[in-house]
Amino acid sequence: MYRSSFFSFVFFFDFRGKQTKRQNSELEIEKMNENSLDEEGAMDLLNQLEAILESDPLIDEVGFIHPSQFVMLSKECCESSDSSEDGAFRPRDTKFWNRDHKLGISTEVLLPLCKAAKSAFMDVMKQYKTHSSLSDNKHEDENIMFGSLSCLSFESEVMKHSRALLLLSCDFGTAWNSRKLVVSKKQQMSMFMDELLLSALVLSYSPKSEQAWSHRRWIIKMIAGKYSTLQDIIANESELVEKIAERSKMNYRAWNHRCWLVSYMTRGQMLHEIKKSRDWAGLHVADNSCFHYRRRLMLGILENSFCKQEGDNSSYDVENYQVVKEELDLNEVLIKRYIGREALWLHRRYLSLCLIRHLTTMHGTCCHSEQKTSMDNEINKFLDNESCLLNSCSTIQDMEFEDFKAQAMYSAIYFLWLIKQIPQFREIELQVKLKAGNLKSILHKTCPERSFLWDFLDLNGF
Amino acid sequence: MGELAVDKHVQYILSVEKRKDSFESVVMDHLRMNGAYWGLTTLDLLGKLDTVDADEVISWIMKCQHESGGFSGNIGHDPHILYTVSAVQVLALFNKLDVLDIDKVATYITGLQNEDGSFSGDIWGEVDTRFSYIAICCLSILRCLDRINVEKAVNYILSCKNLDGGFGCTPGGESHAGQIFCCVGALAITGSLHHVDKDLLGWWLCERQVKSGGLNGRPEKLPDVCYSWWVLTSLIMIDRVHWIDKEKLVKFILNCQDVENGGISDRPDDAVDVFHTYFGVAGLSLLEYPGLKAIDPAYALPVDVINRIFFSR
Ligand SMILES: [Zn+2]
Repeated sequence: MYRSSFFSFVFFFDFRGKQTKRQNSELEIEKMNENSLDEEGAMDLLNQLEAILESDPLIDEVGFIHPSQFVMLSKECCESSDSSEDGAFRPRDTKFWNRDHKLGISTEVLLPLCKAAKSAFMDVMKQYKTHSSLSDNKHEDENIMFGSLSCLSFESEVMKHSRALLLLSCDFGTAWNSRKLVVSKKQQMSMFMDELLLSALVLSYSPKSEQAWSHRRWIIKMIAGKYSTLQDIIANESELVEKIAERSKMNYRAWNHRCWLVSYMTRGQMLHEIKKSRDWAGLHVADNSCFHYRRRLMLGILENSFCKQEGDNSSYDVENYQVVKEELDLNEVLIKRYIGREALWLHRRYLSLCLIRHLTTMHGTCCHSEQKTSMDNEINKFLDNESCLLNSCSTIQDMEFEDFKAQAMYSAIYFLWLIKQIPQFREIELQVKLKAGNLKSILHKTCPERSFLWDFLDLNGF
Repeated sequence: MGELAVDKHVQYILSVEKRKDSFESVVMDHLRMNGAYWGLTTLDLLGKLDTVDADEVISWIMKCQHESGGFSGNIGHDPHILYTVSAVQVLALFNKLDVLDIDKVATYITGLQNEDGSFSGDIWGEVDTRFSYIAICCLSILRCLDRINVEKAVNYILSCKNLDGGFGCTPGGESHAGQIFCCVGALAITGSLHHVDKDLLGWWLCERQVKSGGLNGRPEKLPDVCYSWWVLTSLIMIDRVHWIDKEKLVKFILNCQDVENGGISDRPDDAVDVFHTYFGVAGLSLLEYPGLKAIDPAYALPVDVINRIFFSR
């Protein structure tokens, strides 16, 4: 289901994304305002933020809001809310906004807040480390009396300040590490789950944060093998990626995380994921990452059947063939619906290769001649289908439209790519009479600048 | 469009260090070591490294080294292989590798190799082919590549190869130009490029060039100056760079300059940063733009620095 980001309607500063020159100069102006805040004022702000985080542990979205938008947001809430409990953290001087588990922070205070959080974190880390090394050298009974008590309070301070800091500076690796250190000492399931929540919160404003994604993987590796809930967690992770991918298009880090999950999935889960992500793929045909995820799942399914050779693997063979075949059919539908999309054609290269490999390796293993002929038939049927597809897509219906030109180009390059990887295709190319002329002339018409193709054509006697 | 605004870019890089009081510089503080590498290598390519006080930089770098031998992104932060390579590269730029306890750094990197040949980025165990490249590049510069199991390292990288000829972060990960640079670079340094189907990979890489002449990192993405580096280096290493339109790419990079205030951005009219300034200048150096020092595509250091390391004595 589509879920729009709560903060997407306000002007959103993405500090880690690219800024235009105009946004940059606006930041310069804010910087001058911020300098008026002294250190004490900054610490006070940090305390406010940490109190909010403490009081509402279920915050699931953070946004940085420009002062002008901030005023509007606060007003709107005052009007809509009639109860007094709502206003707990609103007034003061409206630098924070917290309602319905959403947190807004004014861009006006980002710099002093970030500096305060950083120095608070660095200070407590230093003390914590000194304390830990000291208590390592002490006798055990002394540890119980003094050590462990203050150790606990240091740890909670580390967790408090690192959380505030990571909301402001999401790739601060040392802060993530400090949390790993504390959490790995405790080994409590609830703490592991809290880490997943914090990481999701950071991803709500910085969906490409490498550290936040990496933190999740570390947590999952810690949980794996110890708790029975792993399969549920994997399913939740997969859903989280889909949710984030909806707002953050072609997000490599997010999809990479989803691909990583596949190695923890059972065959059943992989099949389920293929089904589940099918509609999403159809609605986001430019997102190569989603198609790659489907390729990863397919390869996982295909590999999975080879591991279990001993048992009854023939049933898997049929199911596997079905998976590849259905993906090819879906891809063809999409190619015809969305004209000239690169990711769709690249996906088809992969699928064709997969299918041919699958069919030819099955050849090797079966000895019944009956089955062999049926496989030969399947291959021939596939080759026929591809030449029909090429024929229909390479005919440029309207030279004026870039999309049709792109479609013709991608289809011709696709065929050429198949010839390179599967030499049998060369024969078909010679047999088929394309309406649009031969491959070479289509490529001449659509992409004369792609010199790598000409080298290939020359080498292969086109 | 015009020419490369060399003086403006030098001024821009020198000014970045001084602008310490912006939100941007505070949140980038933890990766200052990478920033130092990007900025200083750019200055060297432009022939202006002598405008920097080398001793000051080196003493700061050494304050970032930890007991483990690894370096952190800034003083007081945790060490990581990402910053360790930058520290080693900057010391190489200044011809100061001798200040290092090489055995100690090598021990740190060697300790990050896993049983399957892959490398973790730090003690917390995230695995990525980027870390494989860094480990191999770094140890090679320190001339102790024999400290790791090279065969296993190469096999792990090959296990991350996809059917399209490209490479991802881990086995089964999506092909990405940045990861391809890392994998091809590591294979080049270890003399293992014969494992790569050059025509197949070259094909995928050339398809990254879009109409404007710029290169993207994945299908359907917008062009971006930093991919000039990731894609070009890979194409050079597999000897297929003649397959793209170099002239158009030069124009694209030059169009991303801020000719008034210096610096290069990812795309025309975006805000500039040191990262893209480095990749823009390094890309132009690979394209043999006049007046720039040549850069080595595998080690990401000026060719004269590499020659000094491998051919002196
Ligand atoms: Zn970029």
